[in-house]
Amino acid sequence: MSHEISLDASVIALFNDPATIKVLGTVDSNGVPHVVVKQSAHIAADGNIHYLELIESSRSNANMVRSIWFDGTVSFTAIADEAHSVQIKGKPIKAHITGPLFLQHYERLHDTHPDADLAAVWVIKPQKVIDQNPATRRAVEAAKHPHFVHLDKLAKRAG
Amino acid sequence: MSAVGRVRYRSEPSFEEVAARYPNFPRLIALKIDVHRRGVYYTQRALSNVDPEKHQIYGWNGISFPHSLLLRDGTTLLVMPQTPDKDPFVVDFFDGAFWLLNDGAVVEEVEIWPKPRYYDNLTRSGLRMGDVVSARPQRLDLFVTSFCYFYHVDEQGCKFCSLPKLHKTLRSEHKLPTRLNVDDVRECFTEALKEAGRFTNIHITGGTMVKGSDVGDLEVDYYIEILKAIGDTFEAKKFPSQLLATSYNERQLAKLKENTGLSSFTADIEVLNEEKFNWICPGKARWVGYKEWKDRLVRGVDVFGRGNISTGIVGGVEMASPHGFTSEDDGLKATLEEAEWLAERGVTTVHVVWMPAAGSQFHDLKAPSLDYFIRLSQGLQDIRLKYGLTVDFDDYRRCGNHADSDLARLYYADR
Repeated sequence: MSHEISLDASVIALFNDPATIKVLGTVDSNGVPHVVVKQSAHIAADGNIHYLELIESSRSNANMVRSIWFDGTVSFTAIADEAHSVQIKGKPIKAHITGPLFLQHYERLHDTHPDADLAAVWVIKPQKVIDQNPATRRAVEAAKHPHFVHLDKLAKRAG
Repeated sequence: MSAVGRVRYRSEPSFEEVAARYPNFPRLIALKIDVHRRGVYYTQRALSNVDPEKHQIYGWNGISFPHSLLLRDGTTLLVMPQTPDKDPFVVDFFDGAFWLLNDGAVVEEVEIWPKPRYYDNLTRSGLRMGDVVSARPQRLDLFVTSFCYFYHVDEQGCKFCSLPKLHKTLRSEHKLPTRLNVDDVRECFTEALKEAGRFTNIHITGGTMVKGSDVGDLEVDYYIEILKAIGDTFEAKKFPSQLLATSYNERQLAKLKENTGLSSFTADIEVLNEEKFNWICPGKARWVGYKEWKDRLVRGVDVFGRGNISTGIVGGVEMASPHGFTSEDDGLKATLEEAEWLAERGVTTVHVVWMPAAGSQFHDLKAPSLDYFIRLSQGLQDIRLKYGLTVDFDDYRRCGNHADSDLARLYYADR
């Protein structure tokens, strides 16, 4: 998975809606998943996902470091409601730990959450977008794997 | 920069070849090591795009150089400019960014350290604050004295060290006193801390002063004075900080701890082998001694606690000719065995990459291979993991000069 993609306006709108729940998925060196809500995540002007990592010693941060060092993939799932959610898989490409972007977020964070600290602003380059709407997912997979269905779903309806 | 038509300074496998041998070692950290080992050459195009308003720079021999660089994972590079004949990496500027090149091939985008806001302010005594207290990407640096008794009086300075000469020149260029004034220091810290989010650690160091009833008593008193001035700028009694000084006895360490907000202590042993230490660091050997240096580190754990006492080594200097180890395997084995002895007793060891520096007695020697440094970095971090030691006060962010403690980023969450 090495493609570079541009996100559709509808995906960006869903992701950047403050009401949308955004969930980061990473794995550790043993393949153990770590899935946590990161409401700071947003699609920035550069087309990448940016999120604020508030805890230097968090599992997410360690897994992000491992991913940027060893070309690992992470995911963000953005959920508006059951019918409207997308999953974006991508590669961490940068960790801002100082500099203008970091300080800008640090100051904004201080205004809204004075007790919070900031470890890094992570930048994730999207590589694949999956529409997680159940009906859409069913249709996509049915087209690819027509054998994977219970027969009663295909049977003539009585009457 | 083309190497065609001349003999290379080093005859060795390429960076890519060596990095490929270690798939479980982060390529970006291997790159950091190699950049530290070989230095960088800034093209004119790069230098002309350095912005003194945005970037942290320093003047040396009439040229303004970027203080240093950052990689995209937040890894700090602390690298000295090098001449093209020594096969350095090249920093160029194109497509609106600075790039690191190796043999003409682009390796990574790099950033120049951002300049802190306080840098150009003046103290009441008229000194530029950036000359009194310098900065790394997330650290405030205080080099309190350019005087080192071992070097200036005994003529027994550490043979790899160029700092006394370098700092004497820098201090004379910037008209700084030999010893910093505590009021200047306090003013600088007050100003620096106004930039929210800019700093996570304070590092204080200087040359050795042996005077006192016990060796170093005056040095301890001076550091206490400095640390109290820094402490005046904090609400909290303790603050994230590291004093890198001469080896102190328990009484001196306890005095430091009781009277200041200092949170960690480091005394660099430089070389983890007694025979090489005696040769390379004659001043330290004469005034403290190898065994006593190690024992003081161990006893320091009782004062500052596990994970807050460390020693630094100049990685690879144990192979300096003519009296060093003649094989990298032997040098590495001796170093890691001693580091493990210290770790068992609560002392952590970090290394810098030895780059024979102009102004040092070892200036015309060559540093060991990248392969050696990768094994050394991994070895030191593995020892920390084995003995449950942390290195939080001296890691990628709080320091940035140790490839081995950069690796600790992967393990913070395991504790």
